[in-house]
Amino acid sequence: MDWNQIFQNTVRAAVGVDTIYFAIAALGLNIQFGYTGLVNFGQAAFMACGSYGLGMTAQYFGIGLWWGIPLGIIFVIILALIVGIPTLRLRADYLAIVTIATAEIVRLFVRSVKFNKIFGGTEGISNFSRDYRELNPFEPGATYGFEPFTFSGYTLITVLVGWTLVAIFALLVWQLMRSPWGRVIKGIREDEDAVRSLGKNVYAYKMQSLIIGGIVGMFAGMVLALDRGSVQPDNYSRDVTFYVLTALVLGGLAKVSGSIVGSMLFWVLFVFCDNFLREVTRSGPLRIGDFTVIQSTQVGAVNYMLVGIGLMLLMTYRPQGLFGNRKEMALDGR
Amino acid sequence: MLGNKQSQKLFALKFSLFLFCGVGLFAGYAGSSVSAATDDYSIIASVQNQTLINGTTNRVPVAGVSVTVTKADGTIVGSGITDDNGSCTIAVPSRDAYSISIDESTLPDGLVLIDAEKAQVSIPKDLFTTNTKRVTFFTGEGAAAGASEIERILQRLADGVRLGIIIAMCSVGLSLVFGTTGLTNFAHGEMVTFGGLVAFYFNVILEIPILISGPVVIALGGLFGLFFNWGIFARLTKRGIGLISQLVVTVGLSIMLRNIFLFQFGGRTKQLSSYSKQVNIEIGPIGITPRDLTTAILGVIILVSVALFLQRSRLGKAIRAVSDNVQLASATGIDTRKVIKVVWFAGGALAATGGIFRGLDEQVSFSMGSDLLFLMFAGITLGGLGSAFGALIGGFFIGIFVEMSSLFVPSELKVAPALFILIVVLIVRPQGILGKSQRVG
Repeated sequence: MDWNQIFQNTVRAAVGVDTIYFAIAALGLNIQFGYTGLVNFGQAAFMACGSYGLGMTAQYFGIGLWWGIPLGIIFVIILALIVGIPTLRLRADYLAIVTIATAEIVRLFVRSVKFNKIFGGTEGISNFSRDYRELNPFEPGATYGFEPFTFSGYTLITVLVGWTLVAIFALLVWQLMRSPWGRVIKGIREDEDAVRSLGKNVYAYKMQSLIIGGIVGMFAGMVLALDRGSVQPDNYSRDVTFYVLTALVLGGLAKVSGSIVGSMLFWVLFVFCDNFLREVTRSGPLRIGDFTVIQSTQVGAVNYMLVGIGLMLLMTYRPQGLFGNRKEMALDGR
Repeated sequence: MLGNKQSQKLFALKFSLFLFCGVGLFAGYAGSSVSAATDDYSIIASVQNQTLINGTTNRVPVAGVSVTVTKADGTIVGSGITDDNGSCTIAVPSRDAYSISIDESTLPDGLVLIDAEKAQVSIPKDLFTTNTKRVTFFTGEGAAAGASEIERILQRLADGVRLGIIIAMCSVGLSLVFGTTGLTNFAHGEMVTFGGLVAFYFNVILEIPILISGPVVIALGGLFGLFFNWGIFARLTKRGIGLISQLVVTVGLSIMLRNIFLFQFGGRTKQLSSYSKQVNIEIGPIGITPRDLTTAILGVIILVSVALFLQRSRLGKAIRAVSDNVQLASATGIDTRKVIKVVWFAGGALAATGGIFRGLDEQVSFSMGSDLLFLMFAGITLGGLGSAFGALIGGFFIGIFVEMSSLFVPSELKVAPALFILIVVLIVRPQGILGKSQRVG
């Protein structure tokens, strides 16, 4: 067993692209779920808005890459209105139902044969990120950094841009939540009726929170798309939202650092499990006597099984996350 | 009485124990159903001729078609000719992006690719989740099959009734659990999958016919539901964990169970062996297999008995009372905890029944239930969250609506109109057809 390799991969995961896009998506979800108490189970769809915003500039519109950002924001607003208008006046679980459904439908639409010309079907969109690649000052093939933090020049640019975005959004969320707007938002989470009786338009605030969180989530999708150099519809499945949610709960809801630390922890644990199990099963299925414990094709399922168990245990025993403050966890104020 | 701290610890222990037992149980027969993996990567291309005989899709393998696999830069990696199973396996050197194309001139006379653009399929590296990647090309008759408009509509209606029965059956539990405990159970789809997969285990691996194993599967489904309540949600409620947190727990549970199913069952869809090969019988313009006709009739009988049970029996009345108002029901002397247990059992049993029916109707897979979850939610929202009759009516309607809408939208998007219904209902009448407005706000 190559412990050195496992160790290096695990440590590298703490700062890798996966952690970055999870952290940004979690920051967005935190605005909605952690601070406002909106159960958004469709963050993956908001991420897809960003990715497809970028991808469609080349695939459909034939305009410059950076038009993808305003395009993505328009998509996010449309999506937020679709899920928000019917549900934000209702109890929390309706939003959960509608967001999870909408996210699934969005995925079906973008991967459909019917809209192949616009979204690229199941193969997705590639060849859109040339503008971004040209900005890369590093040599794509060369290796930079020191062990275990080594990245190819191709990835390094996304790592740097990504962490800059994480920092910007962390600062933004932190400032927002200190502002009067943030106090209203947190008030809505604690007691919606009280806030309403103070003359605030709760509905509008919730919608703003949904849109702002969605726009932050959109950038997560953009980071993912730019790093992969392609947009794949199946990167935005329902479960992605749940993994981001797990990372968020792990780090602690309603805390800015929680989203970032949670994503790092999530991927460190995930990559460790994954690498460890793959090493174990590399030379054939692991057997005890005649009993097959696990084989290489089952590693993925075990990893995600552990994610599910982790989410259940966290929600039961430490709903405030590993570092959160229990007082801030008033999800059931209503 | 134990101190609070102590009882929490005890609970923690039991809860973890339960989880590990659960995982262990499933791990028990690991590997028996999944074929051994090798380190070689290969692409299996298969060509299937698809014919629509009275609404049921028949697939026949096409032999003798030449297939070529090329790398992204255009170099040819390998080629082959499909065998009698319509498939050919082409070894590839590594996990990479490839494109697979078939030579359309080698197709038998009269057959064309259904999707003409798909003579070439590209697969990105990410899709190599296992060592083999299967790509299927579908062909069909050259000329469009001539079915009249009215026949198509009736056929869709018949399909819709079948889907509607399944959705209605599956959603009763979801709606009643919500009504009695306030919990929105995102793991309900896994209860449906459980029914389908256990039925597969009995039917295909132990070779017990569905008619005999079915009742056992249904009972096991009920116990599975009871297990949800006893093992997790009753305990969470006792600990005072709020409903939104419990909702997130159901999400975790759903992820865990789905991956346990995937671990055990593998990612492919498989067919139940009983009644899998049947010919259509014609009833007027509608073609239906005796199997589907029987399941439809059985389904209606089950749904009617559920409705009668809720309407007439003492226990049914108690369930509706608790679902209506827990405090009031409790004050009139109804044992609410018992009622909740009954609801979980019945919900689990009905979901498992739905799973078996769905498995007979289509095929079984590790995600068959979670794929239906959204339709179930649309159904119970339409009927009124928490109302059992609402679930029956709403689920039935959604099933018909989804199948009928495939007359107008491409069938890959046929569930999209259900979302439209969901949204319209929430705007116009958020309490649903049979719900009460007070619960919603």
